Order: sequence, then C-alpha cells, then structure tokens
Amino acid sequence: MSADKAGASYEVLSPWAEADPKQLKGLSPRLDDLAGKKIGLLCNNKRAAPLILDVTERLLKEKYPTAKISRFNSRSFSVSALEPDRKQEFEDWIKGVDAVVASVGD
Amino acid sequence: MYDAIFIEEHDTPTATFTFEHFQNDAMSAASSRGMPVVKIVPEAIVSECTVEETIDNAITAVFDDMVGALTKSLTADEKSPKPRESGNSPRIVFKGNLEEVNRFFYQRGWTDGLPVIPPTEEAVAEMLTGTGLPADHLVEKLEPRLGKATIEMIAINAVMAGCLPTYMPLLIAGVQALADNPVCGMMAASTGSFSPFWLINGPVAKDAGIRSTYGATNPGDIANASIGRALGLITKNGRGVRKQIEDMGVLGNPGKYSWVAAEDEENSPWEPFHVEQGFKKEDSAITLMFPQSFQQMMPFGTDDKGILATIVGSIFPARMGSFAVLLTPTNAASIAKGGWSKKAVKDYIVENTIVPDDYYSRLGLKSDGPFDRGNVNGPGFGPKVFHRTPRDQDPARVFVFGGFGSWMGFIQGGPPPITKKIELPKNWSELVKKYKNVVPTYVRY
Repeated sequence: MSADKAGASYEVLSPWAEADPKQLKGLSPRLDDLAGKKIGLLCNNKRAAPLILDVTERLLKEKYPTAKISRFNSRSFSVSALEPDRKQEFEDWIKGVDAVVASVGD
Repeated sequence: MYDAIFIEEHDTPTATFTFEHFQNDAMSAASSRGMPVVKIVPEAIVSECTVEETIDNAITAVFDDMVGALTKSLTADEKSPKPRESGNSPRIVFKGNLEEVNRFFYQRGWTDGLPVIPPTEEAVAEMLTGTGLPADHLVEKLEPRLGKATIEMIAINAVMAGCLPTYMPLLIAGVQALADNPVCGMMAASTGSFSPFWLINGPVAKDAGIRSTYGATNPGDIANASIGRALGLITKNGRGVRKQIEDMGVLGNPGKYSWVAAEDEENSPWEPFHVEQGFKKEDSAITLMFPQSFQQMMPFGTDDKGILATIVGSIFPARMGSFAVLLTPTNAASIAKGGWSKKAVKDYIVENTIVPDDYYSRLGLKSDGPFDRGNVNGPGFGPKVFHRTPRDQDPARVFVFGGFGSWMGFIQGGPPPITKKIELPKNWSELVKKYKNVVPTYVRY
C-alpha cells in the first residue's frame, strides 16, 4: 500500500453521482426515399439554425423536387424541453411530416 | 438533441445537424435521454455563425450524409440498442496517499484542476453533521446525466472543495436551485460560458462566515471560496457536465471556480434581495444567477445622479440575459439619500437604458434580428434595452455588497435569478459555535 511521507493513506469515496440505468430506445424506421415525402425542418432559436435550414430547404427542392417542406420554429433551444405550452402544436406538426431535419445552431 | 429524441419517439425519422466539435456533447445529451443511437450529421459550422457562404458550403458538403441518416437501413443496435455501461463507480473508489488520490481524481475528470481534500469516510461523516438529513436522501437528480445528488454525494464533493459542515445547508439549497429550471443544465454546458453566481441572504451569511464586504468575491475566504467550488464539482460530478465534453463554453469563465457573495444587509438602505423574491427577512436564502460577464465601473459622479447615469450609460445593447447592478453600500446609500427606493432604481434602469437613434445605422447593421433571445433587444426592437417579458418581469436587479468605495459593477447573462430557502438543522447553533473560529488571522508587518 502506498503512503505519503507522513505515512498517511486515504481510502476515499467516489464523488461521481450514481445514475439509474436507462431504458434504451431505438430509432424509428427510416424512409426508402425522400422523393414525394413531406420533410419537416425544425429550427431552434440559435441564429445559425434558420440559415442552415435555408440551405437545406434549397438543396432538398433541387434534389427532391417532389418533396414538400414544412417548418417549425422553436422559441427556445428546445421545444420539447422548454416550451411545454407548445407540446400539442409540436406533436401535431410531427404527425404531419414523414421525416425531420433539425438544426440546433450548435 | 432532446427534440430529435422526442420526434423519434413519435415514430418519425430525424437527422440533426451538429457542429463537428459538439458530437460528444450531443451524444451525452442523447444518452441521458435513453437514445444513444440518435442520428447526428456532423458539419463544420461553428456555433452562432452568421456567414451565409460558410453555412452554404458546410451544409452542401454533408447534405448526402443527412439524406443517408433519414434513409439508410438501421443496424440492429440502432433498432434496439444494447445496454451501455452504467458509468457508475463503487462507493469506495480508491486508496492511496494524498498525491495519489489527487492524481486519481484528476485523471478521472472529477476535479476542477486544483488539489482536493481526500473524501474519506471520516471527513464525509464530519461533513454530514452539517445536516439533519440522512446520507441517502435524494435532493435532486441533475440533468443532463440525471446523477443523483444525494446528501452523501453533496458531502463528498463538499469535502473535496474544502467546505466546513456549516456550508451543507447552503449546498443543499444550492443543488435545489441548480435543478429548478431545465435551462440551468443548458447554462452549465453553453458555449456562452455562463458561470453560477451565488448570492447569500439572511442570518446564515454571518453564521457561516460568508463575506459581504471588501473583496467579497475575491479569493481568501473559506466560505466564499469553497461553497461555489463545491457546487461546481457537483455540477461536474452530478450533472456530468465536463469541459469540452458537455461544457462547450468557448472562452470559459473564471467564475466557475467559485463566485459567491453575501448581501450586506446591515449596510444596505433597502430590503434584502431574498425579501424581493418573496422570503422573510429572517429567512436564509441562496440565489443563483448565471452571468457570463462581470464589468466594473467608476461612476461619473458619486451622488445618485452620477451613479444612475453611469448604470444606464454603460449597458451595451448587445448584452444578453438577466442583469444585476452590483452596488457597494456606499453607492446604495448615496442613491437612497436622493430619495430612491430600490424599486425606483430598477424602474429607472428599465425605462432609461436607451439605445441612441443612430446606434445601429452607424455600425452598419442591417439585420433586424435580436441580440438577446430572452430579453429581446437589437435592431428593430425599439430604443429600450430592457423589456418586461413573461420570462422576466423584473429585468434589472440590484445587489448590495462590497467594501466602502465607489466602484460599481454589472453581472449579466442567463435566466432570471432562482432563490431557494436554506433550511438549517436543529443543531445549527452548536455547529456555528464549533466552526466560527475558522477564520484567517493575518500577521501585521
């Protein structure tokens, strides 16, 4: 056993908090193709986010001209975490699209 | 990532553009919500970028990756993720001498870089005398990792930080404040390097020896130094927010070591801050703000007009978040002598902090976007810098502490202040008596 010059040895407790094991969730099935699908663009309130999605929308329209686009703008960093008053609106929007491209500005 | 997970849970495939340096942060957030396989699309756009050409090139470069994230067949693990390692560690985690303990903790990423006191059973047991709550009592689970901040976990980190047992009630209330608003977890991780600032009110401040006067937020007082440090370690070891893994602060903030002051209620002409927050004067309370900046000024003049003019004349429009002016008792007394209540001072700041008409045009700014997402100001939002919003009805606060002098300051950033009552244990007077003499005695020369 190691000891310092004074002979002291310390048996120490872990400062790292215990966390409960999490029930892991898988991803939802992917699409075969984006052609003809309705693609949701989710934008948070970081200022790069809308600019990123502007480019994304332009490229989607170029490469998938039959795809439709629907945008949802968050007022915060996260609709689901920070905007409980918009939960139903957000869920309704998700139901109306086939896939989502999100930009969080980070 | 929380929204991406929410959408996936609603049976909709999702791809999230993420700056390539933020992949660890994104995956930690996703794992904390039980979806470690969520699809991110790394790109080369730094946070808050506004340069359209850079964004265009970066998204064009990864557009096919985004399409693949939505259309490529899922692997077995993506369909049904295998259990990950818990990341938990045994209660007794190491045995060694002082240097070895410190090296072990540092290499695990459990410290703030400074040496720590070894949290032995004996040291933690002494720390636990500072509360009447049992060691296994769960105070909060801290997002994003949802680490359990039990009384024992708080005490262990308090020992490491050098706290005295009399600080335990403050730390428990501080942890409650850290969990009060989901934004607090985001503040800890934000690129904006928001640092907790802790203001202590009520009798506990004197009992625990928390400095309110000269150099209140300077190093040198065990209470001010170790209380903030312990809450920083709890943020790291409970939230699981580690530098450049989850904490993506760009410039960083020295306040994250410890930033604590007691309000000088004795020498303030006004009601204490915790009373404004709805508590009784005889209550003890801890208030949490997340400023990203600290600015000090010499007032134009030291009477009420000079001090108030300095405040409204020194607030820059590109500021962000909550605001508090830091007044010394001298400044506060000068303003009060002019007949100003604290409410009148705050109203004055809100009504008179005005951007000159040509401010933005002189700078060549054409954007009509806001500078501050929470307390909206910027081109196109009128001349006032402060607005009362649903998020913040009281956008200007006043804290009184510091020595008797004229320098004054601002702290700015983050959500509105969160104040929690500090519950003291039954043996409080004995505890105070036991530890009150732990004070420095400086040699005269």
